Amino acid sequence: MTIVAAFLVPGTPLPLLRPDNPPWSRIANGYRAAARALATQRPDVLLVYSTQWIAVLDELWQLRPLISGVHVDENWYEYGELAYEIRIDVEVARGCVEGSKAVGISAKGVDYDQFPIDTGTIVANTFLNSHNQWPLVIAANNLYHSWDDTMRLGEMAARVADKKSKKVVVIGIGGMSGSILRKEIDIRGDSIASAADDAWNRRILDAFQKADVARLKELCPAYVKEAKPDMGFKHFAWILGALGGRIYGARLHGYGPSYGSGAAVVEFKV
Amino acid sequence: MAQGQILAGYLAPHPPHLVYGENPPQNEPRSQGGWEQLRWAYERARKTLDELKPDVLLVHSPHWMTQLGHHFLGVPRLKGKSVDPIFPNLFRYNFDLTVDVELAEACCKAAAERGLVAKMMRNPRFRVDYGTITTLHLMRPQWDIPVVGLSANNSPYYLSTKEGLEEMDLLGKATRAAIARTGRRAVLLASNTLSHLHFHQEPELPEDMSREHPVSAKGYQWDMRMIQLMRQGQTKKVFDLLPQFIEEAFAEVKSGAFTWMFAAMGYPEIPGEFYGYGTVIGTGNAVMEWNLAKHGLSMVEAPRTSPAAAAGPLAGAP
Repeated sequence: MTIVAAFLVPGTPLPLLRPDNPPWSRIANGYRAAARALATQRPDVLLVYSTQWIAVLDELWQLRPLISGVHVDENWYEYGELAYEIRIDVEVARGCVEGSKAVGISAKGVDYDQFPIDTGTIVANTFLNSHNQWPLVIAANNLYHSWDDTMRLGEMAARVADKKSKKVVVIGIGGMSGSILRKEIDIRGDSIASAADDAWNRRILDAFQKADVARLKELCPAYVKEAKPDMGFKHFAWILGALGGRIYGARLHGYGPSYGSGAAVVEFKV
Repeated sequence: MAQGQILAGYLAPHPPHLVYGENPPQNEPRSQGGWEQLRWAYERARKTLDELKPDVLLVHSPHWMTQLGHHFLGVPRLKGKSVDPIFPNLFRYNFDLTVDVELAEACCKAAAERGLVAKMMRNPRFRVDYGTITTLHLMRPQWDIPVVGLSANNSPYYLSTKEGLEEMDLLGKATRAAIARTGRRAVLLASNTLSHLHFHQEPELPEDMSREHPVSAKGYQWDMRMIQLMRQGQTKKVFDLLPQFIEEAFAEVKSGAFTWMFAAMGYPEIPGEFYGYGTVIGTGNAVMEWNLAKHGLSMVEAPRTSPAAAAGPLAGAP
């Protein structure tokens, strides 16, 4: 299986829209470092799972060959808007629709003009794939799918790409601790919402770097309950599934706040 | 003294299936019909709305969910294509709406005066959420009345239900004050479904009504209980039961529109006019109206002092 890189990245638009703001520049710089690392691998396709693309019926896969537009985030519009252009590897995406069904998960492709593309996918693509060099396969986050379902989808997607002899980068998009600051702040003073959230994030990041999968399996349920990372931290389940349930260490490119919530750019060793 | 009117409030849920079933020219997909009883319920609501002749429609929608505060559409005109990300096969709707920006700004200011974080959305390229669009189409397909669109702050989900709905209560009171200050004749639309457990698969033909029914007996019984109380005008009892309804039936009123609307109306103990009920992929949906004008309760006056002034000069002092 030719997975050449894997990244866990945040979906918040704030570092992209205001990279000059010091607390957010750490993430922006982390993303740029990840982009340089990704580029050296010369992949054929990026397999993306975004916690912000919500589905409730089937598992959804993007099938439109080229999607483009200008997106205005429903929360953070005051900081700017997000132009995007994204190419899709339709062959692999179609394979993932069929592959989902084969592993017992009902699935559909979506191919509609002006289908809403989520902020997280746009942010990750803009930072990591700024010249649109590589096509994506984008998987939705079905709210009713479990951690195990998401691992199965990640594993299946990697296998589908491998059968088509593609060199793959796996990307899971979502945040770390989920508590945001609920009053307006001076953004220059942004920080993680609580010491407890920060401690949790660092515990997880440490386990990533030590490749301690057993510890991660032990910690993740409590992490989800106490620190509330995006969508049950399923963006990591996607990566873990694609990597066959193993990680070999990680490099932390950037960690910091996004209006109180935790954001990290992590490159896993493969 | 500044005076406006809240002519009526409607419980006006937003399943896109109802637009799909109607086959209006703005919606791309074509159907063989479906969900007729709910669509006929909306026909009755459209008729009474037309008779009220409001200046503005205010709609609070769960599908513009915001984390930091309560947001208001703040651009005079918004136009675009709304594609439902869950049901893109049913709803791809070309919308073109006008916003009562002056009233939206008044609501925003009144909300801030009451201690809420409140923001105006000023980007003309903002894509209005499909919940807002669906409710507005179902109530007024002519699109000839300006609107105020409100986001649903996620406080009922992030904090406790009680704390979150307390914010929605404040937001409703702020809305009432803003309507009074601007002298508008307003109608309020709570874009909420009732019981919200749903099927996880769609039939091959979405409008196959042989596959449409409540998901659970419990959800259906809860819906009927709450509707009956509303029909009887037992508003206090409805709100006493709301937390349990939310917990046991996964009711979408948790997102706050229903509380916002009733707070703005002053929680009147008047019977709600019931127009119809039906399920959509198993969720329970009712169309109902509380006609304040008919009951002589529509006049709203602005408070004599702002909430901040009412708190006194030492408010907020250490």
